[in-house]
Amino acid sequence: MIAAMMASSYNAKEEDGHHSGSSSHGGAGAVKSKKPDNTAFKQQRLPAWQPILTAGTVLPAFFVIGLIFIPIGIGLYVTSNNIKEFEVDYTGVDINSPCYSCAKNFSWNSTQSCVCSVNFTLEQPFESNVFMYYGLSNFYQNHRRYVKSRDDSQLNGDLSALMNPSKECEPYRTNDGLPIAPCGAIANSLFNDTLDLYYVDSNSTKTPIPLAKKGIAWWTDKHVKFRNPSGNTNLTVTFQGTTKPVNWRKPVYELDPSEADNNGFINEDFIVWMRTAALPTFRKLYRIIQKKSGTTPTLPSGRYILDITYNYPVLSFDGRKRMILSTISWMGGKNPFLGIAYITVGSICFFLGVVLLIIHHKYDTRNNSADIPN
Amino acid sequence: IDCNSLRYPSLYKPGQQNLLFNKRQFFLCTLQGLGTSFLLFFIPYGAFSVMVKEDGSQFSDQQAFAVTIATSLVIVVSVQIGLDTHYWTAVNHLFIWGSVTVYFAILFAMQSDGIFGIFPSNFQFIGAARNCLSEKSVWLVILLTTVVCMVPGLAVSFLRVDLFPTLTDKQNLRRVRRTSSRRSAYAFSHQQGYGELITSGKNMRMSSVSAAPSAGKSPHSSNWIENMLKRKNEVLISGFGNKSK
Repeated sequence: MIAAMMASSYNAKEEDGHHSGSSSHGGAGAVKSKKPDNTAFKQQRLPAWQPILTAGTVLPAFFVIGLIFIPIGIGLYVTSNNIKEFEVDYTGVDINSPCYSCAKNFSWNSTQSCVCSVNFTLEQPFESNVFMYYGLSNFYQNHRRYVKSRDDSQLNGDLSALMNPSKECEPYRTNDGLPIAPCGAIANSLFNDTLDLYYVDSNSTKTPIPLAKKGIAWWTDKHVKFRNPSGNTNLTVTFQGTTKPVNWRKPVYELDPSEADNNGFINEDFIVWMRTAALPTFRKLYRIIQKKSGTTPTLPSGRYILDITYNYPVLSFDGRKRMILSTISWMGGKNPFLGIAYITVGSICFFLGVVLLIIHHKYDTRNNSADIPN
Repeated sequence: IDCNSLRYPSLYKPGQQNLLFNKRQFFLCTLQGLGTSFLLFFIPYGAFSVMVKEDGSQFSDQQAFAVTIATSLVIVVSVQIGLDTHYWTAVNHLFIWGSVTVYFAILFAMQSDGIFGIFPSNFQFIGAARNCLSEKSVWLVILLTTVVCMVPGLAVSFLRVDLFPTLTDKQNLRRVRRTSSRRSAYAFSHQQGYGELITSGKNMRMSSVSAAPSAGKSPHSSNWIENMLKRKNEVLISGFGNKSK
């Protein structure tokens, strides 16, 4: 009843419009109609595509998603399993561990650094490029105040920021009246352990393994974000008037005096450290072991010795330090999470598709006779 | 407006009864938002706990994590809006694809070398998007997050349309069996024929409404059209039963 009233009232209105339109055409015709233009855009008559959720579209979509995800997941999982990884914790918590004495006797004022050695054995040889990481646990590089405590202008080589660091670096901004370069808490907590790797062959001779220290930072970091302050090529002169961060043993222009493009702010270990990690347990790239030509594995199986210059104290906040050796693949390092997640989601989608198909089929056959005739 | 709206006036009932936006719907939307946020953070979190780039350099840093989550968010929201859109006109296409494109444009602009040169301290994310989005594993994470956020919503809405179809859904299902997708005023030929109407003689009786100028010219101004509408509405109202007044 309401419908009929609505229909008739609509008719009346349009007829009025028609009548007024025709009367104005008949008359002087000077009154402009206020009706919007009769274009497709303004009358909402644009051609449209209507996606409707029918069984014919949704159910195949679920099956397709399941069938795509499960092979991807299997591929990822198999690739991740083929990546070889080896980890050794050298914090020195246990009284039997080699670095226990270094950890216990750590003091900030000691001039002589403590050295400890860890022996380990690789069961399988590592082929192709091997990457050596240092890992830290319980170290919150994602703390808000820590992340803000840096001066990117200073690290980009701005001379005015070099002498006058930003306020964000407090309390690591000045020391003894001189500005700190590089300022801030992130720079101050630079990881300064030195790790050396030796291979012990059957004759018990210790051969050092060459570790490459270039190419560990992001290209954009090394060439765009971090720049040494311009001026003198002698960095000692450029950094005159500044002082080293409080917890460092040597100033920033002595990080790598042997190579000019790895010294100062563009030192790659420093750049890698300044890229703050997202989670409290993280690993950062330390060195790369280049692959050898021919078929010899980069790291043959056997006994190895890791020599550590223990400079970095972590026991005060219950942290842990590790060294990790790992190969990589097209999807990065060893990451079983992604493979398992893909397999799980693919199987759930497939299973859900089957369940929905059963429900739809049962409901359809039950409801066929009661369907409303069109 | 359209012939459709006149033909099925019961479609206006959900609006009048406030069925589509009330406290319960709002609560369900909030719940869906919470669930999506949870998934959007924890799936990349699980993937990033041990992640390195293809060239071995470290990857599980804050800025790459942030870029991954932000990109997943924009893509999930765009896909959700796309699935909820009932009529995909050119304007819809422009705005939905445009949003995603503009997001990537702004992302790369904010993390470019140029703007870092001007304001180093404010645009610290330099290089993050370039390094992050060129990794295959990051795109796999984004794809996984998108699918996991969409699948429950899709399953629920499909079940709702299948098991408890509303009037709109029934009408949409009926329309999908026809080919017309242009919203035009001329849809009259898709009705059942006039044979039954003429032979029953109904149109001869109701001649009290006489304001029609001429029959057959425009669909809205004939008597027997009105009667057809009335009859159709009666069928509809009685057919769907419980909501008739």
